[in-house]
Amino acid sequence: MDEYTIGVLTNIGLFSFIALSAYLLLLAGELSFGQQAFFGIGAYVGGIGTALLGWPLPLAALAAMAAGAAAQTLVGLPTLRLRGLYFAMATLAAAEMIRIVLELIHFQRVVDGALVGPDGTQGFRGIRWIFEHGIEPAAFLALVWSLLACVVLLLAWIERSRLGAVVRMVGEDPELAAVLGIDVGRLKLGVAAVAGALAALGGVLFAHVNTYVEPRNFDIMLGVHSLAYALIGGLGTVFGPLLGVALDIGALESTRLFHGYRMIVFGGVVALILVWRPRGLLDERAVDWLGRRLWRRTP
Amino acid sequence: MKRFIAFALFAGLALPAQAAHPEAKVDCKAAGDKYVYDCMIRLSQDGKPLTGVEVTVGADMPTMPMAHSVKPAKAKPGKDPGMYHVRIELEMHGEWALKLQLSGAVRDLIVVKQQFGDEGSGHAGQKMQMK
Repeated sequence: MDEYTIGVLTNIGLFSFIALSAYLLLLAGELSFGQQAFFGIGAYVGGIGTALLGWPLPLAALAAMAAGAAAQTLVGLPTLRLRGLYFAMATLAAAEMIRIVLELIHFQRVVDGALVGPDGTQGFRGIRWIFEHGIEPAAFLALVWSLLACVVLLLAWIERSRLGAVVRMVGEDPELAAVLGIDVGRLKLGVAAVAGALAALGGVLFAHVNTYVEPRNFDIMLGVHSLAYALIGGLGTVFGPLLGVALDIGALESTRLFHGYRMIVFGGVVALILVWRPRGLLDERAVDWLGRRLWRRTP
Repeated sequence: MKRFIAFALFAGLALPAQAAHPEAKVDCKAAGDKYVYDCMIRLSQDGKPLTGVEVTVGADMPTMPMAHSVKPAKAKPGKDPGMYHVRIELEMHGEWALKLQLSGAVRDLIVVKQQFGDEGSGHAGQKMQMK
């Protein structure tokens, strides 16, 4: 496999984490335009862990996930009281606040003769753990997809459990769920914390494969795309967001002949898909149909 | 299980770290066609020209790292040691983060931010002439 293909597949894997993060909140009935902030927090915390504190990547990733979960919980405490567009606007505002805070962080020190660490709008250079430890691009791709497979399998298992049914019920009709004795607020906060941790995991991996991040990497464009991944792919199964990312990055890569106009072409394609299938390609009906066909074929 | 987790957490500590980081200076001139640039890259390590590496150059726009990205192109070694030449085709003017992927004698990734305009490139933040 050539390096370009490895790069594209790594990107699909990395952005799948933020897509899953937006998908989880959509399942719980919340439209978030702010998941890019937790992706960014993950990138910065993970980068500080390995580049400045000398931690191994797994430890830095755990710290980043904890920070992402904590940050999304803090944002969720006041904002999850809001509904629909109000929640969406509040998450966007919170994400912009977090991005501006990242622009204000200056925390550099000399490592191996080079200045390393967050330098405000100039970004965070020197997140070189995978290069310092001789991890080849193919090995990093395998790491990203192994982690993604673990996350997807875990979420698929949860979706088939009682907890998964409860989350979908809260997303569909929170009043009915509350009447049935479900603590809707606490459940949504728990889902938000998991979503924050997942976005942060994607962020820490993104920072390490690029060696450099800056606050502008985590602006509204990434938030819109993360939501689009889940909505294009479909809300019927955890595999939907993965399909969304693959279609998004695949479409972007395959429409290079349109040069700078390809985002416009891509936007049109997304709009058409959402008019045709408002809950995405793999929506609940499609998943049900696929499930029945597969079940019928099983002896 | 505990041993596995401990190994996974601290596996990186046992591996050797590289001492010096390669550095790059990039200067791009407009090649004639719109958004096409010829770039000269000067690579160095410990103040000496860095030779014997393969350089692949890609580019991203910082505000959307994957939406506006350029398919990586291989740089050719120039006449002087440590000099490499590459032609890149961007999608628009503005600030781009050039990603220099080094392989061979040294494996690394160097990110250089440049502002691209009609004439060529300058350091990010520097105003370029644009039509």
